[in-house]
Amino acid sequence: MAEKVAVDPQAFKKAVDDRTNARLKMWLEICAHCGLCADTCHFYLSNDRDPKLIPAIKGKKVLEAFKKKDKIDEAFLEELYWTVYGDCTMCRRCTMFCPFGIDIATITSTGRGLCVSQGKVPENLVKTIESYYEYGNQMEVSEEDWIDTLQWMEEELQEELPGATIPIDKKGANLLYTVNAREPKFYPMDISQAAMVFYLAGEDWTMSSKGWDDTNLAMFAGDLKAAGYVSQLVRDAAEELEVKRVAITE
Amino acid sequence: MVHSVTLFAEYLREGRLKLDKSVFGDQRCTYQDPCNVSRNGGCGKDAREIIQYLCEDFVEMEPHGDYNFCCGGGGGAIPMAGAFRDRRIRSGKVKADEIRATGASICFTPCHNCYDQIRDLSKEYELGIKVLSFKEMFEEALIIPEELKAKEEDEEE
Repeated sequence: MAEKVAVDPQAFKKAVDDRTNARLKMWLEICAHCGLCADTCHFYLSNDRDPKLIPAIKGKKVLEAFKKKDKIDEAFLEELYWTVYGDCTMCRRCTMFCPFGIDIATITSTGRGLCVSQGKVPENLVKTIESYYEYGNQMEVSEEDWIDTLQWMEEELQEELPGATIPIDKKGANLLYTVNAREPKFYPMDISQAAMVFYLAGEDWTMSSKGWDDTNLAMFAGDLKAAGYVSQLVRDAAEELEVKRVAITE
Repeated sequence: MVHSVTLFAEYLREGRLKLDKSVFGDQRCTYQDPCNVSRNGGCGKDAREIIQYLCEDFVEMEPHGDYNFCCGGGGGAIPMAGAFRDRRIRSGKVKADEIRATGASICFTPCHNCYDQIRDLSKEYELGIKVLSFKEMFEEALIIPEELKAKEEDEEE
C-alpha cells in the first residue's frame, strides 16, 4: 500500500502548521484519558479490546504528529497511516460519550490530511481522486456512458410505467437528484427505482449531465483541496440548472 | 440539500406515495442507521417514519439511531479495499452480532457503504440475511394506480 517511502519533513511541518487551530489544539490537549470512549468503538470491541484501538489512543497518534512536526520519520508515518486510515471510520460515536465532546473524527481526518502531505494515501482512494478530476465522478464513468445508462433505465421503467421519464438537464426543476457513482457502474436499477418513486410522487425533478456524483472520497482521503473541487461540481450543476433543492441518493 | 430518506418520508407523510406493507408482512426487518445519515445527518427519525409505512415485523438493533454502531464500512473503508479489507471485516463483528440478535431476515439501509459492508458481513459471519435499500423495498411495496400501469398490448410490443 505504501506508495512513497521517503518522508518530506518540511511538507509535514507545513501541513501541521496549516491544520493547527485553537479548537483542534484544545481537543488534543484536554483529553484526560478517562477511557469512556473505549467501549463506544466498534474497532476496539471487535478486536478483543485491543488498547491500541481505544479512540483516545488513536487521537494521541495525531497529537504526536503535531508535536513532532519536521521530526517525523518513516516508521512514525507508517504508524500514523494505519491508525488514521485503517483503525477509524470517523463515525463519531465516541464523541457522543466523551465528557469533553472531543471530535475524534475531525482529529482522524486531520491525521489523514498530514498523510496526504507525504503522498501516503491508500492507492484506491488516490484512483478515485484522479477520476473525480478527469471524469467528474469517482468511477471513471464518461458523460456518454452516464447518459446511455439514464436512457436505458428510462426504457426499462417505461415497460411498466409508460408515462415515467428520467429528465436530464431540465432547467428550473424543483429537484436535482444526484447519485453515488457506484449506481451507474454496478447498481443501475437504483436509478430506475428512484425515477419510479419521483414519477409516482408527482415530483418535478431532473438529473444533471454533469456534477451528478454526490460522493466525496477526496474528503475521506483527507485531501481538502480535492474535496472542495468535488463538492463544487454538484453545486455548479445545481446553479446551472436553477433548481430549488438538491437531493442525494440513499 | 436533502437526503433521500427525508424526501421519501415527506412523500409518504403528504400521501404522495402509498405502500402496501403486507408485502414484507411475514419477514422480520431491521434497519442499519448509517452514521452520516442518522448520527451526523439527523435523519434517523425520518427513517423510522418510513418504517411505519413499510414493515409489519420490525425489530431495532440495540443500540440504534444516534447511538448506532458503525457497520465498519464508513469513512472510505469500502473503496480502500486491498490490505484494508481484513480490518474492515473484522471491525464489523459488533454489527454482525447485533443483526443476528434481531432475528431479522432483511436488513435495509439507505447507504451504499453500509449496504456493501453488510452484504460482506452476511457472507463472512453467515448471517443469511437479505440486504436492501429503501428504494428496493419500495419497488416491491409501492401501490401503483391502475391507470399508470402499462396496458396488456403495450407489454406484448
